[in-house]
Amino acid sequence: MAELSVVGKSVPRVDALIKVTGSAKFSSDVKVPGMLYAKVLRSPYPHAKIVSIDTSKAEQLPGVVCVATGKDAPDKRTGSATLDQPVLARDVVCAVGDPVAAVAAKSLDIAEEAIELIDVKYEELTAVLDAEDAVSTQPTAVVHPDLFNYEKGPFGHRRFDPDRPNVMMHYSIRRGDIEQGFKEADLVLEDKFTTAMVQHCPLELSTTVVIPEEDGSLTINASRSLHQPARSVMRTVFGLEPSKLKLAMDYCGGSFGRGAVFEEPIAALLAMKTRKPVKHVFTREEVFLRGGNRIPMIVYVKDGVKKDGTLVAREMTAILPSGPSEAFTGLVTRNCAFGAVGTYRVPNFKWDSYGVYINGPTTGGFRGLGSTQVEFAIEQHMDMLAEKLGLDPVKIRRKNILREGEANATGEITHSIGVEECLYKMAKFIKPEEKPEGEGVWRRGKGITVANKYTLAPTAGGCRVKVCADGNIALYHGAEEVGQGADTVMAQIAAEEFGISVDRVKVQPKDTLNSPYAMGACSSQQTFIVGNGAKLACQDAKRGLFERAAPRLGVSPDELATKGGEIYVKGMSDKKLRIPELFTGYAPGGYGSYTPGGEIIGNATYVQINTPDNLETGQIDPEAAAKGMRLNTSYAHSAKAVEVAVNTETGQVKVLRIGVADDMGQPINPKMCEQQQEGGIGMALGATLTEEFMLKEGIPLNPNFTDYRMASVNEIPPLDNIEVMFAPAPHKDGPYGAKGFAEGVMIGIDAAIANAVYNAVGVRIKDLPISAEKVLKALKDKEGGK
Amino acid sequence: MSQLIKLKINGVMEEVSIEPWWSLAYVLREVLNLTGVKVGCETGNCGTCTVLVDGKAIKSCLLLAMKARGKEITTIEGLKDKEGTLHPLQQAFIDHFAVQCGYCTPGMIMAAKALLDENPNSTEEEVRAALSGNLCRCTGYVKIVEAVLAAEEKIRIGG
Repeated sequence: MAELSVVGKSVPRVDALIKVTGSAKFSSDVKVPGMLYAKVLRSPYPHAKIVSIDTSKAEQLPGVVCVATGKDAPDKRTGSATLDQPVLARDVVCAVGDPVAAVAAKSLDIAEEAIELIDVKYEELTAVLDAEDAVSTQPTAVVHPDLFNYEKGPFGHRRFDPDRPNVMMHYSIRRGDIEQGFKEADLVLEDKFTTAMVQHCPLELSTTVVIPEEDGSLTINASRSLHQPARSVMRTVFGLEPSKLKLAMDYCGGSFGRGAVFEEPIAALLAMKTRKPVKHVFTREEVFLRGGNRIPMIVYVKDGVKKDGTLVAREMTAILPSGPSEAFTGLVTRNCAFGAVGTYRVPNFKWDSYGVYINGPTTGGFRGLGSTQVEFAIEQHMDMLAEKLGLDPVKIRRKNILREGEANATGEITHSIGVEECLYKMAKFIKPEEKPEGEGVWRRGKGITVANKYTLAPTAGGCRVKVCADGNIALYHGAEEVGQGADTVMAQIAAEEFGISVDRVKVQPKDTLNSPYAMGACSSQQTFIVGNGAKLACQDAKRGLFERAAPRLGVSPDELATKGGEIYVKGMSDKKLRIPELFTGYAPGGYGSYTPGGEIIGNATYVQINTPDNLETGQIDPEAAAKGMRLNTSYAHSAKAVEVAVNTETGQVKVLRIGVADDMGQPINPKMCEQQQEGGIGMALGATLTEEFMLKEGIPLNPNFTDYRMASVNEIPPLDNIEVMFAPAPHKDGPYGAKGFAEGVMIGIDAAIANAVYNAVGVRIKDLPISAEKVLKALKDKEGGK
Repeated sequence: MSQLIKLKINGVMEEVSIEPWWSLAYVLREVLNLTGVKVGCETGNCGTCTVLVDGKAIKSCLLLAMKARGKEITTIEGLKDKEGTLHPLQQAFIDHFAVQCGYCTPGMIMAAKALLDENPNSTEEEVRAALSGNLCRCTGYVKIVEAVLAAEEKIRIGG
């Protein structure tokens, strides 16, 4: 590969300046003349029949412009894999927070007053609140009695189970002979692991601003990821064709998978009825109830191993409870299985996962897309096996790691797997063989894990570039900037291709109508997919550029190259012209600039196809696999290591040191990769030790930042005790060898802490979060000989 | 019920008509269009609305605008100097990659400014304490603390 000049360098982020000055525009900052303010009345019950709704008092309040209920909305459901979500509830509410009525008023104060004047009479119904209950053949309640007749949606997967009325997706993998595998094993161990509901906690409150245009089209600003899927949802509900709908992709105040729930139709309904712009900002409580949450997954693992640690059989069952809006749970139900197949060689593998409705808050897409919860189970189980076999935790992992070119348990051929190098670096960092000394009531321990995170397929991402008269590049890419640095990555790729500095690439504002299509910020795909689109679009633009320049230089286009805003004949650095020379009227005092042949633009969409798997066996066609066809785009790999101190009197766990090593292929911007790694540490420390969105009988207990505790700076170890490292295994199809990895950064930290707690005090916490209460109880149980 | 009050914001006296229950954050964002002030929780937990009131870092979602009468208020929009040069904290946040989604950034910078104005010799522990009321979901805080320490050094040497 030619030497890189911009890619691989830590150039400053292109969005940093406007963010430190406060001038970056977020959807929540949008204000339009004549704008109305929306508020939504939500269900206080987990499951109830709506007997009556009286909106008359609200309608009479001065300043109220519109009150809408379910009967005012189109009779269409939206959603991801299954269209299960009405715009506003019609006859029944299926969770606390389900939208029942909406108000548009001249001020926020009036809108807030108005929703309190709406009188709804409910008749409570029996609710199904427990995942194991819901998944059974005789559940306490059925969330969607008409489920089997619901339409299939555009995103994700569904496979109903005729015997289990709440199941919206059942996914299976079958490889080898599981019974034979267990027979061959010297040790069989099984266990159950559970995880908590975790909120994304993006700091920007979910916001929608809908502006109705005179011609009937809509312009929408929405603080979310997945604008293209949101556009598709709006089309389902209102029949708005793509050219009639423009979703602006503003800067987004954090995503982490928050784009899976679609409430834009509510504000759109109000805007269409009033013919006025409408702004709807969620409260923080509404973000908890309806923003989607990490699925509190239940994972059963049964492993069979040989004495030397070789895995011979693994059987897993996962139950994924979703609220009444599936919100990508169908997708997660299938894709979380990749967490179980991406790292280790498992010759005999049996997997079943069930996505199931309950009468709870919405859960679904969340950073890690299910791999986090699955690997929380696996990475503890690996330590438990190692202990029983008398092996060390590094050795048992190394023994079972997949090799380049080897088929994994879905039949997909492994490529670009840097996990062993990651593990090596982390073993060197934490030195698991050296047991740390405790002091007083504090006991110390170490934990180490490995992790993988796939990037999904099929998917696509596009880019368009325009060569400006000054030789700079205007970049119109489809990737969403949610804080991860997509704008900078795309700008670096364009700068690399044109041989210019990043400040000469101008990333243009984005929306779903004017920007090229890209699926969105999910599954860590944008660097790989849109990055390839950007690279191809630049190459396309350069072809056009060279065709214009070739006659002037008296050579053929393929003899030309560009650097620093000049086009030159390869190998003859004096035979060249400046890009502005191709434009008429660019000279000072000129009336403007144009190129007689039309604008010099490049345009490309990178499409990542896949080999469809079989939802009943999970296996891909071996012939296609042998030809290089994949199930996913790529896999990122990592290893994590921690040292903790555990207080034996209070159960408190303190993380003293933490290290992560990640394989992201070629890093496009190393400092931005570090940002992801450190951010993953911060998010994982909260999600492991304190974060749990709690409910009692379906009623949320802590939907706010006072009682739900994400990590503050206080929870982060001292700067000197945090180590982030790279172990790149370049991907043959990634741009310059890059892969996406921003989700994998938090996977395995939870299990590493659990392993370290066990190492410190001998109690194993199989249920997230690893709270002081749980550790203390486990210590007492252990003392009491339980 | 609305009242006319005067607020001195970023050195300029502004006269605004407010309702007595409006928070300072609401007035800054919705009335004065100073949208660099963010709102993330309205319960004083996240710190995105942090501004300086008489030099102290205050969560403006918890302060009634009425209570800010006669006080000097500084928001992120007032941080550049007269020549338009970035404050050392703003520059350090860029140079040290302390910015990701950018939503916590204005509040973080204002909280850090209150600290450095008071004590430009703060230790890592003191910086952490000063930022402990400001949440960030993207960065894990590492580069934010590094940026504040770097800005402090620059301020100390008069850079």
